[in-house]
Amino acid sequence: MPALVDLQGSFARAMISGDGAAVGSHLRGGRDPGQRLAIHLRHYATSLADALCDKFPASAWLIGADTMREAAGAYARLHPPRQPCIAEYGRDFPQFLAGHPRAAQLPYVRSFAELEWAVAQASIAVDAPPLSWTELAACGAERLIESRLALQPGVHYVRADWCIDELMQTYLSGVAPERFVLVDAATRIEVRGTSGTLKFVRLDAGTFAFRTTLAAGRTVGEAAGAALTLEQGFDPGSALRALVDAELVTAGATGTQESLR
Amino acid sequence: MSREYAVNALPAGVGLRLPHLAEVAAGASSAAWLEAHPENFLANPHARELLLRVRHHHPVALHTVGVSVGTATGLDRAHLARLRTLVDELDPFLVSGHLAWSTYDGVYLNDLLPIPYDDDAMRIVATNVHEVQDLLRRCYVVENPASYVAFSTSTRAETDFLAELASRTGCKLLCDVSNAYLSAANLGYDAYEYINGLPADAVAELHLGGFTREADDAGAPVLIDTHSAAIDEVVWELYAHALRRFGPQPTLIEWDNALPTFAQLLSEAHHADFVAHATFEGAPRARAG
Repeated sequence: MPALVDLQGSFARAMISGDGAAVGSHLRGGRDPGQRLAIHLRHYATSLADALCDKFPASAWLIGADTMREAAGAYARLHPPRQPCIAEYGRDFPQFLAGHPRAAQLPYVRSFAELEWAVAQASIAVDAPPLSWTELAACGAERLIESRLALQPGVHYVRADWCIDELMQTYLSGVAPERFVLVDAATRIEVRGTSGTLKFVRLDAGTFAFRTTLAAGRTVGEAAGAALTLEQGFDPGSALRALVDAELVTAGATGTQESLR
Repeated sequence: MSREYAVNALPAGVGLRLPHLAEVAAGASSAAWLEAHPENFLANPHARELLLRVRHHHPVALHTVGVSVGTATGLDRAHLARLRTLVDELDPFLVSGHLAWSTYDGVYLNDLLPIPYDDDAMRIVATNVHEVQDLLRRCYVVENPASYVAFSTSTRAETDFLAELASRTGCKLLCDVSNAYLSAANLGYDAYEYINGLPADAVAELHLGGFTREADDAGAPVLIDTHSAAIDEVVWELYAHALRRFGPQPTLIEWDNALPTFAQLLSEAHHADFVAHATFEGAPRARAG
């Protein structure tokens, strides 16, 4: 009789691979316990594929339901979930989807699916209390440059080589246009959502670099440097003010870890 | 018994699923109480905000699907910490989960999988239940599983395993009456004897859910715990028996797939109340309006 840990190891491998041969001999139930085990094996594959298809309906609309289901099934076999909250499953599915043979002809699939993930995350976010300009300015310009800022949890950034925000808005409108031209142009998108609301803003290169650098946990000075590399006329002070006025900054800490609030 | 029921027992509640959340949070529900799966709310701040609003108007219980007390590779403490935060925020009147495993070495298998009922499993499950109770700082309520297969290496009946688990850990038991019927039909034992075999003083909640009749790949009939249909008439009969055995207990209607309107769920809950009333007051059994 195998120890429980070994039995569960065999069972887990059977679930993920879909091959229950190593487990069936320990079971009883029905005419053939192996066929009863198949109920669990099928559930693993179908429930996770269903979850991914539910999470990426716009991508399925773009590439076709059959291709999406096939890719989702393959992803579930190769990348089993590592958390019990299935809502968090599939963060790296866009990259996997882009590698699917039938999606390879659509170079915008990955960024479109990344945008869809961002939209889903933004739509369930809840705003944190924003930091005011008075609170931020109180620490002084020198300390502010070394500070790191936290942005609203419902703010996400996606960069694409195609105008995928227009394609997403077409999908979200629920109205199929007679003709849609997907323009190949560098597109920098800020997705913001809170308590079920959602909006897209297209950013210029400097503002996008400034905000994504801050979102990555770098300092205000580093964010300004990243933006100035792309746009010589970039004004970090105005950019920071715009960010605060939009109530996107929720917290901050100076270089000595002193809270800005 | 009837006086105790009239004063102390909650009417039947319903499982709160995300498609009904906005409606219920808007205050439009007459549900006596609600049970939520925390895993649907831990990664969804907006839904969590609405659930906290619901809590202002309704008693709430939490029914976990990802705690995995049957796992031999250790509980997911990060998940438990998140669960603890939600429990602290909501103060549910009951927190429950399944006698099953769903995680192995960090991988989540998205299912409630069976365990053999032997000494090794008892040691592991009891340790895990102790840890859950210590972390949540409250009694955990463990549900009997819906089974399609059992382990030929089991040395105890499921009811004996659950009774010993309750005795060792102080946990309470959730008797899912539909699971009792389904497992008995699938594995060839008597559902009424199963109910009789559970320790009545440990049972703290009852569940009722719909199942579907299918055939397995070998063509043998099998009942699947789909939670996608109304409660079967045979389960209502078994529910009446469970009420006589366990006394009045908080009873929940579970419906997860092919979800009907919230009003239909309330109708099922009202029928559960009718069955309870008929069982304790001796009124004739007939389907409530």
